[in-house]
Amino acid sequence: MKIRIDKAGCVGNARCWAVSESLFPLDDDGYILVEEIDVPPGMEAQARRGARACPERVIEIIEDDA
Amino acid sequence: MTEAATLTEAVPTPGHVTDAVFYDFDMFFDPAYLADPHKRVQDLLDNAPPVFWTPRNGGHWMLVSHSANFEAARDTETFSSEVIPHAQIEAILAQLPADSPPIPRAYPINLDPPLHGKYRQPVQGVFSPKAINKLKESIRKLAGELLDEIAGEGVCEFMSTVAQPLPVQVFLKLLGLPVEKFQTYSALVKAHLSAASGDSGAALARLQDVANAMRDTILARRDDPRDDLISLLWSVEIDGQPTTQQDIENYGVLMFIAGLDTVMQGIGHGVRHLALNPELQDELRADPALIGDATEELLRRYTFTVPPRRLNKDIVFEGVQMKKDDRAMLFLPGADLDPREFPDSARFELNRGGKPHIAFNAGPHRCLGSHLARVELNILYEELLARLPRFRLDPDRPVKFSGGHIIGVQELHLLWDN
Repeated sequence: MKIRIDKAGCVGNARCWAVSESLFPLDDDGYILVEEIDVPPGMEAQARRGARACPERVIEIIEDDA
Repeated sequence: MTEAATLTEAVPTPGHVTDAVFYDFDMFFDPAYLADPHKRVQDLLDNAPPVFWTPRNGGHWMLVSHSANFEAARDTETFSSEVIPHAQIEAILAQLPADSPPIPRAYPINLDPPLHGKYRQPVQGVFSPKAINKLKESIRKLAGELLDEIAGEGVCEFMSTVAQPLPVQVFLKLLGLPVEKFQTYSALVKAHLSAASGDSGAALARLQDVANAMRDTILARRDDPRDDLISLLWSVEIDGQPTTQQDIENYGVLMFIAGLDTVMQGIGHGVRHLALNPELQDELRADPALIGDATEELLRRYTFTVPPRRLNKDIVFEGVQMKKDDRAMLFLPGADLDPREFPDSARFELNRGGKPHIAFNAGPHRCLGSHLARVELNILYEELLARLPRFRLDPDRPVKFSGGHIIGVQELHLLWDN
């Protein structure tokens, strides 16, 4: 599973970071630091919750092909 | 007898506003809104068009649905935050005599991109979640001290004893203003809250008072920096230029108008809900880990800010013809109670599947202080529930509300049995 983030659309709500600080790292201004994240095994549920928590809807989950 | 609210005069309806999108609602003085604001918000969602034009307060659009608010908040080219265009303000200021007292400008809340970003960037780090987390313990101490003063009483008016002093004290601490300024800023908050809408001369004078009260500290920190926001603001640049005394006063005024009565009202709405729902109090006391979710759901259920915008161009928005220079209100309380977005929206649910609200607005103007506000609300609820037994509303002294750009709780009388 991957997370893809429209970084330019981040406005610093940091709600993803509130779900998982390790999955969704922030820069010093409190905005998302990365555009693409490989989700470590076992972190899938947190990835989905983090994506859902974004008020700007800029976080997309890319499921692995079956 | 209660005071009868007088509606503002209705202005003539412009030609581009059709009957289908006309709805008469006075966001300052509508009697049902002042009696029970969020009930009236639900009524608007049920019975008014999702985007409507009201002839009150000079005539303006009301964006009520979630989709209208979400789209407009992020379309800053169409929905400008410069209710008076920046260039026009600059032209007026340029006409003033050189020795005029400084005119505070609450940049960047009233600026559009890209200028907005140039003024916002220097203060982002200070209000980032990581920076705000470092303030938690001092905020907890302040909240605890205020609550200890009322805990033994069994009765209190919560707005004046806790909800208002807490954000004022946090503001003083964050900026590095002396604690002796507490009474000054409390009085300024009261004047700001009780001011009638529309008198721009008096409003300007109050903002000048806000700036005047911090000027000594601003000048002192320029030469002798400490670990506070004012000192930090002397060390940053705006668009490559060192900050000036006027810049720092502007930021201080912004934080005053955006950060004090807002947190206060958030506390008021949240504590009122808790007082009305003793079983929720029990649930949160039994498992304080749920208070974080409760803070979010209270923000959604009682979203209370209504930011103004100005149409920058003619547009058909959500099927509605709008014209350049029309005014529009982002009626965020409607967005977060919209049943199309939040099923059974009036119901308080501790976890709505992690679905986010937009109580702090959407788009680039997302509340800069949102992380601080969340921490203040969360800690206040934690300390309140830990210190007081079941509390309830005083049946003889009903809650008083106010309307306008912030739905306010004016009086909140609580009772509890020690």
